[in-house]
Amino acid sequence: MMSVQILEKDEDSMSFVVNGITASLANTLRRIILSEVPCMAIDDIMIIENDSVLHDEVLGLRLGLIPLKTDLDSYNLPEECECKSELGCHLCRAVLILDVEAESDERIVYSKDLVPEDPNVAPVSGEIPIVKLAPGQRIRLEAYAKLGRGKEHAKWQPVSACIYRYLPEIKIDSERCDGCGVCIDVCPRRVLAKSEEGKIEIKRLLECTLCKDCMTVCPKDPPAIEVQGNQNSFIFYVESTGVLPVERIIREALKIYERKCSEFLEQLSVKLNVSEKD
Amino acid sequence: MIIPVRCFTCGKLIGDKWEEFSRRVKNGEPAGKVLDDLGVTRYCCRRMLLSHVEIIDELTNFYGKRNVKNEEGRR
Repeated sequence: MMSVQILEKDEDSMSFVVNGITASLANTLRRIILSEVPCMAIDDIMIIENDSVLHDEVLGLRLGLIPLKTDLDSYNLPEECECKSELGCHLCRAVLILDVEAESDERIVYSKDLVPEDPNVAPVSGEIPIVKLAPGQRIRLEAYAKLGRGKEHAKWQPVSACIYRYLPEIKIDSERCDGCGVCIDVCPRRVLAKSEEGKIEIKRLLECTLCKDCMTVCPKDPPAIEVQGNQNSFIFYVESTGVLPVERIIREALKIYERKCSEFLEQLSVKLNVSEKD
Repeated sequence: MIIPVRCFTCGKLIGDKWEEFSRRVKNGEPAGKVLDDLGVTRYCCRRMLLSHVEIIDELTNFYGKRNVKNEEGRR
């Protein structure tokens, strides 16, 4: 039976435990999140004027990396959009305009100076410095944001961290353990502690990184403490770059997986029907 | 040159944290504490801010008010 337990959740990140799956499924989820969940990023820019010390190319790369809030429901992926146009239409492209001039003082161009045509596709943070202009310099450009996937470029990756690890399992043989406490001192993550009766206790199980230092340092042979990763339970940690809420990213990833599976099944049944007729 | 928008390794947004980081470190706060406050937990992102040198200021010096005056005639 599969079960999910949410450990921690805040605005941009979430960690949860999934019980009853295998590493291959956990890795499927991770890889789909990293490379297939679409999000918005600036892909094309038209530079009208750029006096700044950064070259056009560098400026373009910096703009591309700015995470943009993504509205997955109202935009299509360019390759799936009905318009089939290279330039894109209002359903697969969002325009942002940057027009900044430093007058008598030096001026930093921030991401908040990017004026989005659609307020739903705005930079996640307005405080990202894009370039610094000396007095008199000017930047004017039009940027086109598109949905894309992480497998094409990392700027389209909706997460900055998406990892999973085995759920640790620590067994202490209470009959052979004499409570000497060397394992408590050697543990780099302070997982173990001594209880009031002088016994070794597991205090912070989830902190354990499975380094097994406690097993090597145990004077008993074989060690009275045993650390193992549960091969069927995983601790996930997903951290969004702010483009999409974490739940949405996971939901989208599972939807993509579901779509792949049903497409496969469909193709398979089509092919099997054909061969039966032959 | 100028603070990168994202962490090279993991892709976390760090550009928007630079100004607060550099201001607070200049005011004598320990860098590690400032990074913790800013929520920069991984060492890949921490090195981005810790090891950054803002050279763009040196370059913009070459385009001072004098250049603007020269260009005014052209515009």
